[in-house]
Amino acid sequence: MISEFNRNKIIDVALLDEKTLAVHGILNDSIYSLELDFKVNLSDLVCFEIEGRWLRYTTPECPQALNFLAQAEGFCLALGIEEKIHKTVGRTSCRHFANLLIECAYAVRETAKLIRYQEAQVHNPELTWQEFLLGESETGSNFSQKAAEDTEDASVAVSVAAPATGEPAKRLPTPATGKSGAFIIDMHMHTAPASPCASDSVEAMIAKAQRIGLHGICLTDHNYLWSAADIRSLRKKFTFPVFRANEIVTEQGDMLVYGFYDDVQGIIKLSELKKRVQAAGGFIVAAHPFRGFLTFGADDIGLTPEKARSREMFQLVDGVETLNGKVTATENGLAREVAEGLKLPATGGSDAHDSSSVGLYATAFTRPINNEVELLAALKTGDYQPIKFR
Amino acid sequence: MADNILKFSLNRATNVEKLDHGNLLSVCHLRDTFTEAEIRMVVKMPELEIAEISGHFRHIYLDGIDNLDDSLKKVLGVRVGAGMLKIIKGLLGEAENLDQIVYMVEECCHGVILHLTKKVLLKAPDDPAGRQEFYSEMVKKSIRLYDRCAAFAKGSPLVASLEAEKRAGGRF
Ligand SMILES: [Zn+2]
Ligand SMILES: [Zn+2]
Repeated sequence: MISEFNRNKIIDVALLDEKTLAVHGILNDSIYSLELDFKVNLSDLVCFEIEGRWLRYTTPECPQALNFLAQAEGFCLALGIEEKIHKTVGRTSCRHFANLLIECAYAVRETAKLIRYQEAQVHNPELTWQEFLLGESETGSNFSQKAAEDTEDASVAVSVAAPATGEPAKRLPTPATGKSGAFIIDMHMHTAPASPCASDSVEAMIAKAQRIGLHGICLTDHNYLWSAADIRSLRKKFTFPVFRANEIVTEQGDMLVYGFYDDVQGIIKLSELKKRVQAAGGFIVAAHPFRGFLTFGADDIGLTPEKARSREMFQLVDGVETLNGKVTATENGLAREVAEGLKLPATGGSDAHDSSSVGLYATAFTRPINNEVELLAALKTGDYQPIKFR
Repeated sequence: MADNILKFSLNRATNVEKLDHGNLLSVCHLRDTFTEAEIRMVVKMPELEIAEISGHFRHIYLDGIDNLDDSLKKVLGVRVGAGMLKIIKGLLGEAENLDQIVYMVEECCHGVILHLTKKVLLKAPDDPAGRQEFYSEMVKKSIRLYDRCAAFAKGSPLVASLEAEKRAGGRF
């Protein structure tokens, strides 16, 4: 039993003076070796004077990561800061420095608690941890408030949708279908602020779709339900077919759900989602089923289409997204082989999170689609195919 | 003030080993001033699904976790890969004493990913030009690396050929 991979992290926290902690963190694993040194104000857990060091790294450009560590200066390391560290240090510097900083932040919080406990014990030597913690929660000295402020991504208000059947069957001027007579819809895209990870507004996304000649788009914001009224006014404003769908997180990955208007929050089991969607007469498409890893692919781990297709998930979905704009050609190829092997219909969508990638991939239907009811009916016929649109 | 004497120290070790039939065992062990905890996870290969999981957690002031193994079972079947963090957090819940458990489950998964990454990195050539080429190809093969860290940031030499293809209207 050889250890194939090993990662060790060591974090030390010392009291530099009455008001300041000195933190030293080391991450040493089979691939990387790096260190962080910084200071923290005990009063508010704000960190400063961050310095990083590489000892071992992979690409010749990794050393650049050190130039971006200063972004974390001024962060309050209270619980809840992890997301912000991932989004700043993780994205512009290096994810391994982010990992180490998150570990350090945990150590800082534990240390601050210990120091406050010891201070309280000076006045009351009998004080137990339990009594101390009770007092802490009453005085609210755990800084989580400040961290919440630091986290920019305020959760988005979710508007309540009317059921699809309530949507008036008002016909839009039937858009011209493509040369081939196909009606082309980008079946997967995200908008800001409905999806926290997206950066362009729904208006910008529609304008782009119109400009590049798509015939319609489907909004698939993460666990977010557009209201029928909002969609109506968008369709009117742009005279362009905009449809509602949803990308729902399950324990088996993301699912694109069409013709289903429950507001699902949190993680739902796919089997449970299936029951509810089936009852509502909707349609589930497995989104990017083989979206894998940054650094290796299905081919590197020997995942064949035959093995891949035995995943329980494929028994529960109605279709598979085999062209997704955010995954590699190999990952899309594997999805296609699995869908073919299981005789499941296949869709395509850009998964655009900003207007630049709208319409990269789409789904070509054989006839015009005017509303969500028609879209759902068309999905159930299986008469469509994923295409590379531009 | 004895600033040479630590107030708090932490050791976290994550190890990945190969089991007989190719599955991976990933173990994350934590020992810090207050906590002693461990998560053990078997990941089925090549599907990369969490097939077995167990653990223990002792902490000086947080209560132990009742039926930890039962809670952990909620993540069985979850696929180690993109999007897993959100799923693991959602399945295990956000109770205060579970924070560390969620983190350790993630660390086990990261260990598996890094082990598989290591196998790919071993193919990198030794000469500087070869390395440059190797990593340039890596970001092309896995476009999600693009602009996601300093090394593959816009304008980095490692993404120069990708950006050139992009400008020429190629597949990126
Ligand atoms: Zn997704
Ligand atoms: Zn998506």
